[in-house]
Parts: sequence; C-alpha cells; structure tokens
Amino acid sequence: MADKTPFDEMYNADGSVREPYRALAEWLAEQPDKALTLMQSDAEAIFRRLGITFAVYGSEEGTEKVIPFDVIPRIISAAEWRRLSKGIDQRVRALNAFLHDIYHRQEILKAGRIPEKLILQNAAFAPEMMGLDPAKGVYAHIIGVDIVRVGPDDFYVLEDNLRTPSGVSYMLEDREAMMMLAPDLFQRTKVAPVENYPENLRRTLESVAPEGSGSSPNIVVLTPGIYNSAYFEHSFLADQMGATLCEGPDLFVDGGKVYMRTTTGPERVHVIYRRIDDDYLDPLTFRPDSMLGVPGLFNAYRAGNVTLVNAPGTGIADDKAVYTYVPEIIEFYLGEKALLQNVPTYNCTDDEQRNWVLENIADLVVKEVHGSGGYGMMVGPTATKAQHQEFRRKIEARPDNYIVQPTLALSTCPTFVNAGIAPRHVDLRPYVLVGDEVRITPGGLTRVALKKGSLVVNSSQGGGTKDTWVLED
Amino acid sequence: MRISIRHQLSISPPPGTANLVLQTLLTSRNGPAQRIESWTLDLPGMENAAPFEDAFGNSAFLVNQARPEGPLLVEVNGVVETQDTHGVLGKLAGDPVPALFRRMTRLTRAPVTLYGKFRGSKDSRIDVLHALMLRVSETLDPAAAGTGAQAQMQGEDGQSQSQGGQSQGEQNATGVTEQALSLASEDDAGVVEAEGHEVAARLPRPPATDYAHLFVGAARALGIPARYVTGYLVGEGDEPGAFHAWAEAYDDKLGWIGFDAMLELCPTDRHVRLAAGLDSLSAAPLRCVPAGDGVQDLGVQIDILD
Repeated sequence: MADKTPFDEMYNADGSVREPYRALAEWLAEQPDKALTLMQSDAEAIFRRLGITFAVYGSEEGTEKVIPFDVIPRIISAAEWRRLSKGIDQRVRALNAFLHDIYHRQEILKAGRIPEKLILQNAAFAPEMMGLDPAKGVYAHIIGVDIVRVGPDDFYVLEDNLRTPSGVSYMLEDREAMMMLAPDLFQRTKVAPVENYPENLRRTLESVAPEGSGSSPNIVVLTPGIYNSAYFEHSFLADQMGATLCEGPDLFVDGGKVYMRTTTGPERVHVIYRRIDDDYLDPLTFRPDSMLGVPGLFNAYRAGNVTLVNAPGTGIADDKAVYTYVPEIIEFYLGEKALLQNVPTYNCTDDEQRNWVLENIADLVVKEVHGSGGYGMMVGPTATKAQHQEFRRKIEARPDNYIVQPTLALSTCPTFVNAGIAPRHVDLRPYVLVGDEVRITPGGLTRVALKKGSLVVNSSQGGGTKDTWVLED
Repeated sequence: MRISIRHQLSISPPPGTANLVLQTLLTSRNGPAQRIESWTLDLPGMENAAPFEDAFGNSAFLVNQARPEGPLLVEVNGVVETQDTHGVLGKLAGDPVPALFRRMTRLTRAPVTLYGKFRGSKDSRIDVLHALMLRVSETLDPAAAGTGAQAQMQGEDGQSQSQGGQSQGEQNATGVTEQALSLASEDDAGVVEAEGHEVAARLPRPPATDYAHLFVGAARALGIPARYVTGYLVGEGDEPGAFHAWAEAYDDKLGWIGFDAMLELCPTDRHVRLAAGLDSLSAAPLRCVPAGDGVQDLGVQIDILD
C-alpha cells in the first residue's frame, strides 16, 4: 500500500481535471501572477483579526499560533458526499446504540462479539454511567469522524471522536475566510453551506434538555479556561449559538439542580456542552483534586436534572482498541454491513500478527491506544531506524498498548506552498450532531500535511487546514 | 429478627466553605433478606436533597448546604425485619449486569498467592467461594500467623494487618503489604483508577474493609463477579453492633450470595444490607466536597426489638 502513488483529488493520472474540480481549475488558470500569494497573506491577516489561534503542547515559547490556512479549497462531489454521509450516519447511530448497551444490559458482551475484558477493564469505561438513561437515549451528541481517502471510491474511517472533538470553529472560519478571499469563486459553483452549524448545534442541545425544561432551555458551554488549547473554540461556539461560556466555579449545585451565578442571581442551567474531560468534571464523583469541575454535577445528571453533552464514558466507543470492532458493532445493532470501511488493524497481542508487525515496522503506522493528537505515534516510512527500534521495544513490552496499521497512501489535494501549487496529503473530519435527529454538516474540516510527503496532518505537528466544499447537484 | 439501628456521623467542612456538596449511600432498601419498616436520614440540607439511584442500584441522595457552620451531624434511624437466607439474595430487579463486578479496581487487587490454587478448580462455584472465604479469613487473621500464605503475604517486616483503629489515611485499604500487592501484577488488568481519593470516608474501617476487598479482588481474579457491600451488623452476646462490610459474589444459578470473610460465614439475620459497589470507594456511605477533615463515625447503636 505504501508504494502506490497517492490518489490526487484534482487531477487524473493523465493530467485531466476531475469533474468536481473543473470550476476551480478554470478559476485558478485565470488568476494573475502573485494572486495566490496575496490571498495567502490576506488569509493570515483575516485569521489574526478573528483571533483564531491554538496553543501547541510542549512548545517552548508556549505562544499562540495561527493555524496555517491553505487558500485552495478541497472539493467533494454531491454523489461522493451522499455516500460518505450515509456511512457516517450509520456509524454514529450504531455507536450510540453500543454506548446504551454497554451501560445497560451489555448484550454485545454476552453474545461474545467483543471481549468483555476489553470493555470492562478499559480505563475509558465509566462504571458510574451504568443504568443511566440520558435524554433521547443519546450519549454522543457531538462527534467528529476522521476519514481518509486512498482512491476514487475508497474511503476509510481512521478514528471516531466521541469525547470532545475540536476543530469545528476552523471549519466555520475557513469558510468565512474563503468567502472573503474569493467571492467570485462561490458564484461559479454551488457549495453546500456550513454556516448553519451553530444553529444546528443549538437545536441539537435544546432537543436533549431534561424533561420539564420548558420551551427555551438554558444552555451553557463549560470550558476548562483560557489556558486550554481550544479555548478560542469554546468562546466562539458559545458566542455563535447564543449560549453562556462559563467555567466550573461559575456553576453550582443546589437541591440537585445546576445553577449559574449571574449578577442578577442564580439562573437554572438545563444543558451543559462541556469541553472538560470526564475525569475533571465533578470532584465528588471523579477526580477529587479537580478544580475545573462542579461538585455534584454528575449526580444532578443522574437525577435527571441536567444534560451533559457529551455524556461521560463515551470514550469507550472511540477507544483505539474498540475501534477495530466497529464493523461488528454496526452489524450487531443495526443488522447492516458497515458502509464505511475501517483501516485494517493488527492486533499485537496475537503472536503471529506481532511477529509480522515487528518485521515490517518500517512500513507501518504505530499508535498508542490512549494517545491522541499525533502524540505517541510512529509513521514507519518517515521514521528513523532508531525510532523503529524504539517502537519495536515498546510493542514487545506492552503489546496491548499499541495498534498497528498499514501506512495508507492518503489522497492529495493541490495546495499552495512556497514552490507554487503542489499536491499535499489530506484527511477529513466531518462533524455530526445527534439529538432529536442526526445532523451532518456537509464537508467538515480538511487537514493538510504541509510538509512534502508528510502523512501527519495534526495541527500540533505542522498541519494546516483547507476550506472543504461539498458541491450541490 | 426485628432490629433498630441508629447511626451517627459528622462532617467538618473547612472554614469558609461556600457550598458543601455531599453524596449519601445511607438508605437501606427492601430485599430478599430484609424488610424496611422505617428508615430516615437526617442531615442539614436534606429537605432540599435530590434522590437518585446510583450506578450500582443503590438509593442515593445528593445533598448540599450553603455556608455550613461547624461540624454537621448526620443521623440514620431505621427499623428492619431481617431473615436468614444463608446469604442468598438471588437475582434482584434493578441490579446492574453482574459482569460489571468483574472490573478490577485499585483497592481490590488481590495477590495471586491468595486465589491461585482455585484456578481451574473442578469444584462448583459455590464451593470455590466458600473455600475462598476461609482462605481470606486465614490470610488476614493474625491468629493464623505462621501459615505459608500468611508469611508470604506479610513480607519480611512481619507487619501485622491493620486492626480497627483510626487508620483512615491508609491508602492500601486491603491492608496487605506492598510486596503482596506487587504479586497481583500478573493479573493486573491495567485499570487505572484515580489515585488518592481523599474525598470519601471509607467507612467502615479495617478490618472488615480488608476482608471484603480481598475477597472481592480474589473472586474477580477468578472471573467471578463480586461486589463490596456495606451494612450493619448485630453484635453477638455482649458485643456492640457495628457498621460493617462484607462481599457478595454471583452464581449463575443462585444469583448474588453474601460472604462475610471476617466472620467466616454467609450473612445471616444479623446483617442489614445498606449499599453495594465496586469497592469501599464506590460504596462509601458519605462523601463530600470540600473534604475538610473528612467524615467521622460517631458510632452505631443497634438493638434487637421484641
């Protein structure tokens, strides 16, 4: 797989332009010299003005950076998107059904379809959630599904994000910036809108308010605070959907209900879109040393007086070891074959597979089961011999702590770099909202590896973003 | 047996506390071996408390008190009619799936020397559990010191097991030594529970807690669902009654069965069941934030009526 020429989303092998990119190709050809350079610097100015920055963990300066934005959009045809969104819809329905089952009767474990130990002994499994019935039966309301493409019709799900997926603010700002930078381009093509995401988010959150909340439930966004790398997004989303942004100390529990302190007295809170990890949510139930959470919050949730979005314990459904069972999960709960494929994954606890992995490590991608954001992973083809050796040792020491996948030849999109327009590898994170219905925003966030040949698209590892277009018929 | 129970506890929140938040697991429920005639739980803030059912099927309250002053008194009063079912509770409606109670926690790690010999046993599960109960009892009972298992588990310093007393700060609540705990690594399932839970009062104190944890941990290591149970114990003869802890293990045919390794018997009509959980943390009768000086047990008064 590693040797194949990656699929180029804009150009066919013979150099002709693929249909979805036709209008863009014409537009690009018409642009005078330096036009893209100018756009690129305008884009940087727009993002600085909007204040869209992120913090990189472990960077010495600890400075806020503007995530690089590429001025050439990534385009998905209407037909391609229909196929993708069907698969995503199927996946999120199955994963929510799985969460309900795991925190109730555990039929899938009784049926032996997933090893019991993998779930019950998993750090991401939250026993505190047992028997709890969240509003509308939804556990994961806000989901980001990471998808990669390796051919015209070949899409793979790389991972599901059911905890507190971030990046949706980039999707929205990329579109806004793109419309400012190239308004004429939007007149030539019919692009599906993404700007109704905040409204859909609000509708989703309102739809899962506890019973008796009235017609306009009070929704807040709970952030760990200004030092969190995604703080900008928390304040942005609160602002966009007209919710209050608050921190743990702004909220308190009284009589089993949750209130927000305001200048005019306590105000009842019905739905909390929390961007704080499970462990820090409530020191009475989870980590007692947490200063970020709200004491009693989880029990108020159990008492049915507030809705937490996403529910605690959803991490068990996006655990990297559980990921390999998602096709099984879809079949078990929906009785359907998975529409979107998983990346083939090797299980290192199996002797035969492990030996094969150790021999071929230079061609493989190794991921830590509990790692995220591109930390704790190794991409074989671009890693050094010393790194191969290091990960061999790690896998041998703790085979259950790693999953191993083939290096996928991620598709490329034309990207504006120093050398001009050149192909760079991309992935895609569509955003899904699950409440009274499943709402999928057309497109999502495209992340692009700006370094030539690099397959790591994470912003913490030098990746950028692109506006993502889904064409309308 | 008709029993009256009066249990008092106190909480001392740190000065200047704006809002004290508590969770109680101090409400006994009807069951196969007990019928609740009356049960009250009194503490400041109770009039405004939210009742809920916790993840383990217990009756819980979320209580809060704005600007609490001085130590707060918590008082439990109940009258219960019990009967001896030889520990058998059966399958209870509303119970979570038994498999949940195979989950290892930090407090329920048991050394392989304790349960290893029961692995692959041909005996029935009930027989294995009874044998395990005796083995836990032998292991923790100092009177049995000198037996192979005892010597091995206590390590070289010969440290005796914590016997009652005020050892609330003790984090290895099983009371077994570090060496013994390290032996458990073979079967350590890799679950990392949050470290350093100071919030919860881990009543009752050892040794009952130790016996229950060790039994629960060993049963789980053998693949048998087992849970930690809190409750009250009617004293025998002149002995006073006490807040107590024991274990329950699951048998596919009989359902849940109690095992009190400290007393070396299955719970009788002297046991009043309060709550169950994964370990003494998840079944803690009272937990509060901020923790302050923790929870003090002021004692239990248990009387046999008529």
